[in-house]
Amino acid sequence: MRYAVTHKTTLAYEQPVSISQHVLRLEPRDTLRQTMLGFDLDVDPMPSQQGNRTDFFGNHVHHLTIQTPHDTLTVESRSSIDVIPRESEIAISESPAWDQVADSLLEQTMTPLGAAYFAFPSPYVSWRSVVQEYALPSFAPGRPVLEAVMDLTSRIFADFEYKGGVSDVWTPVHDVVEMRQGVCQDFAHLEIACLRSLGIPARYVSGYLLTHPPPGQEKLVGSDASHAWLAAWAGDLGWVDFDPTNNLMPDFEHVTVGWGRDYGDLSPMNGFITGGGTHTVSVGVDVASVG
Amino acid sequence: MSATTGASQDAASAFLDLLDDYRLAPNVFDSMLTSEGTVRSEWLGVLARLRQIGAADRRTLNDSAQRILRENGVTFVAQDDTESTHRPWQLDLLPLVIGPGDWQALETGLVQRARLLNELLADLYGEQRCLAENVLPSSLVFGNPRFLPACMRLPAKQQLGLHLIAFDVARAPDGRWWVLGDRTEMPSGAGYALENRVVTSRCLPELFAESNVRRHAHFFRAYNQHVLSLTDKDEPLAVFLTRGPGKLTYFDHAYLARYLGHEIVEGSDLTVRDECVYLKTIEGLRQVDLIFRAVRSELTDPLELRADSMLGVPGLLQSARAGNVTIGNQLGSGVVESPGFLSFLPALCRQLLDEELAIPSVATWWCGQPSERRYVLEHLDNLLVRRISTTHSVLAGGHDGRVNKYSTEVAPGQLGDLIERAGYDFVGQEPLTLSTTPVWTDLGLAPEPCVLRVYVAATASGYQVLPGGLTRIAHDSDPNSAWLAASDVSKDTWVLSDTPVEPLTLFARQHGEARLRRSHRNLPSRAADNLFWLGRYAERAEAAVRLFRSLVIRLAGELGSNRYPVSHERVVSLLVIHKHISPRRAKRAREEGRLAVERELWTLLFDSDSRDGLANVLGNVKRTAEIVRERLSFDAYQTLMVLTDVPDRRQRESTSETDEALRLLNRLVQNLAAFSGIAMENMTRGYGWRFLDLGRRIERMRAMQHLVHNLTAHGDPENDGSLELLLELADSRMTYRGRYHSSPELGRVLDLVLADQSNPRSIAFQLAAISDHLATLPSTEDDGLLRQDQRITTEMLSKLQVADVFEIAAKKNRFDSRILIDRLCRDIKKSANDLSDGISEQFFSHSAPQRVSGYEFLA
Repeated sequence: MRYAVTHKTTLAYEQPVSISQHVLRLEPRDTLRQTMLGFDLDVDPMPSQQGNRTDFFGNHVHHLTIQTPHDTLTVESRSSIDVIPRESEIAISESPAWDQVADSLLEQTMTPLGAAYFAFPSPYVSWRSVVQEYALPSFAPGRPVLEAVMDLTSRIFADFEYKGGVSDVWTPVHDVVEMRQGVCQDFAHLEIACLRSLGIPARYVSGYLLTHPPPGQEKLVGSDASHAWLAAWAGDLGWVDFDPTNNLMPDFEHVTVGWGRDYGDLSPMNGFITGGGTHTVSVGVDVASVG
Repeated sequence: MSATTGASQDAASAFLDLLDDYRLAPNVFDSMLTSEGTVRSEWLGVLARLRQIGAADRRTLNDSAQRILRENGVTFVAQDDTESTHRPWQLDLLPLVIGPGDWQALETGLVQRARLLNELLADLYGEQRCLAENVLPSSLVFGNPRFLPACMRLPAKQQLGLHLIAFDVARAPDGRWWVLGDRTEMPSGAGYALENRVVTSRCLPELFAESNVRRHAHFFRAYNQHVLSLTDKDEPLAVFLTRGPGKLTYFDHAYLARYLGHEIVEGSDLTVRDECVYLKTIEGLRQVDLIFRAVRSELTDPLELRADSMLGVPGLLQSARAGNVTIGNQLGSGVVESPGFLSFLPALCRQLLDEELAIPSVATWWCGQPSERRYVLEHLDNLLVRRISTTHSVLAGGHDGRVNKYSTEVAPGQLGDLIERAGYDFVGQEPLTLSTTPVWTDLGLAPEPCVLRVYVAATASGYQVLPGGLTRIAHDSDPNSAWLAASDVSKDTWVLSDTPVEPLTLFARQHGEARLRRSHRNLPSRAADNLFWLGRYAERAEAAVRLFRSLVIRLAGELGSNRYPVSHERVVSLLVIHKHISPRRAKRAREEGRLAVERELWTLLFDSDSRDGLANVLGNVKRTAEIVRERLSFDAYQTLMVLTDVPDRRQRESTSETDEALRLLNRLVQNLAAFSGIAMENMTRGYGWRFLDLGRRIERMRAMQHLVHNLTAHGDPENDGSLELLLELADSRMTYRGRYHSSPELGRVLDLVLADQSNPRSIAFQLAAISDHLATLPSTEDDGLLRQDQRITTEMLSKLQVADVFEIAAKKNRFDSRILIDRLCRDIKKSANDLSDGISEQFFSHSAPQRVSGYEFLA
């Protein structure tokens, strides 16, 4: 599948901004089933300095400084990506037992460093006992890890209402458990906390999702949004993605931008301004299937 | 040293009087006595001196130490204090004395340990070979929130991530050194160690001189020079990044900054442009080359690290990554101070340095390993349990319960559970019985448990150890906490040399060296702001003190008040005008009569809780002076510390109270005059002085306007004593008498206090001085036009010149004259306010940038 993704962010300030600095995580990375064909970044006004690098987790990071006084900043990224569908369904019931995966980390036998980064509390994902209690019904001793995680994914999908505006990125995971409401990154953070509380490494994945218009309607340009889900560590099977917002294991309709410990490692656009007064943000994302 | 020879047995008996009650605990090392009770040779000289000092002398010495500490404004915020608590620093004059041989062993071991931690840090943020080769378990690193992935592969000049390290060390019963803890994030306490040396050597000068004590100065100079050289700049700009006055360890870091001669800044004083860090100065931005970091790593850059930090500089990390600024210690350096590493250090030392670890660490079991975890769980009652990820780390207090009171975070029953679930976050440590050292009390010498914090710094010739350090007497506090507890007492640490020490006193060096570096290029906006406010507060204090003094005199019925009686109503209304008491209290006092007025005045003078009383006015001076301390001369600072040392005498004593109040107020007037004198005569006319004086002038303008308004625009000033009072408060009585030889007349008085440019108290004089300052300050606009603030002074000056005060006074209709005075005073007040605002806006803008996020909500 080939996708063209446009992600346009507009920051409108009440008063002129003299200097602004931003860190962007908008450029999708290559993965086993995903190949980048092209990436463009347009920034208006013109940055006085712009650079990019690869972060600790291997994600692409762009940073820029604007020193022209401005009252509107527009950042538009255009990505062209090939995503290869899975060759076959993952046999989740044949994955290793979850407790074995967890023990291999706890007991400190050789673990791949890549997994160990994602096994511990991180700035946006810490937990209390209620989190582990919520998770436990899915994790009977010896249950195959992917089966257990899929079960947990489905329970979160069933138990929690998708509702914007009730939470923000700072909402602690245990509050989400109590509210039973949230948006995609709340559900991702919650499931990551559940898994890590049991000793299973889990990472936050940020990206895009191809959405389908209601039957008989045209899809509106810009109506899509950034999306977030997670990947669980399944021992020898490596990382496997789960999407609790949509109750599925992502295949070719998810485009990965990058991954990290939590939202904080992947915030799409983060910045500091001098001046500006209050500001409004508008984001338009469009994921188009182009063949 | 006097009696270093002779059998130590003889020496011991010679000190029997001092050592009578010196009881050694069994199986504990004591710095002074061997287990057989003989005096160690390094203590002989000290003891000989102590014998000559009786109990009375000891108290005198102690008092002078306390006085010096108070005058130097040495305070501290303890580990568990709410911030902005200011405790007086506790110093026991008797130093911890360490002989050359003992020190040598420690020195070698700590240099090795510093190299080891530096290598470990480089590996963890670089190749991670220790992890890949399984020398370290990954959860020890990644389970620690102080490991910051964003700090991977930061460039470090000369592979030097750790510029300064502190080690807490103690001695085992056999005298061997042990390391209790490593401090790599923001090693603190060196400033206090310097201050302890200053005070101790001043109070015990002969003993210090004859003891051949190794000096501190060389160490700090070598450290400073080396880290400055890392910037590869000829004239690097270095700053100490702190969390701001009043915060934990601020005093300490500010002291060290002053000693090394660098600017003390907060995050909002710095800004990043195009991946370079700049200091905001009144002349614009100046590039910063080196940052001494006294803010925790994760709080230094809200753009890439903790987004909610208000203490950082957005973009700092990227500047470090680009190699445009050197930061010491390197961002992320806190990870290697985790107690979890202690049991791995011997293996790491072999792996990274190919050496055996010279100094052992306190026995530590990291609960991330199954067998260690089991051991800790089975010995919970006998071990100190620490949580790696939190600062208040002690969760179980060990068998003697010495530090048990800190274990409030987790209920005892839950601890085992927690360790079971997240073992990587816990260590168990053997509670060490600390070695003892003598403490000097009224009753003689007594052995007390001590911990020594030793400093190791990078220099051109590798890591060097400060000969000395901060000795803590830790009675019932956690000996291995990162910072001092409220009950801790400190000591200077004397490392004796077996070769003659060059007789260079730290004290002379400290001031001489610092002064050389204090140029006035790069005056930070915040410092200018603070100096401006110091000027304002000092002037405000002077006005208040003069007012109080005049009122006390009048109420006491002295000094010609019969001729010009000022009613107590007028007294009260002045207090209200100057906001010293509220209108409601004033009304009550007026109704109750003279005694009530006196009572109000007494409260203002002596009750330190009185909101707008003397204590508050002086408190503002003191607080501001402490912040800009490094920009004031030693004398100016001392004068202000003496000034603000006012007794709290809430309870009125019946007799001689007027006399006492007058004595105090006279002293304060003199102290304030001394400070102005020092500022006028001893400060170079740099920008700093100009801002100090600007503040003073603007405040004086406001105060004078208040007085003129209140004392001439009401009542019958020529006949009710108001003019006399005005002249007195304006310190212009002598001038008036000398000029006119007659009782005050309104026109003449107004001329003298408003328009006479030769009177340093007049409004016109203030305006002329302000105008002169403004013309000298740097301008950001080069259009050659007058700035707004310069226009204000020019306009106001000409208004005063045009206004004919004699004509105003001569108005037949007193009502007309009042209206004119009122209008003029309002104009003056407005100009003073506009000037203050204008100056703030132009020079003091250090507002913090705000966060924006391109995040709306995710699907």
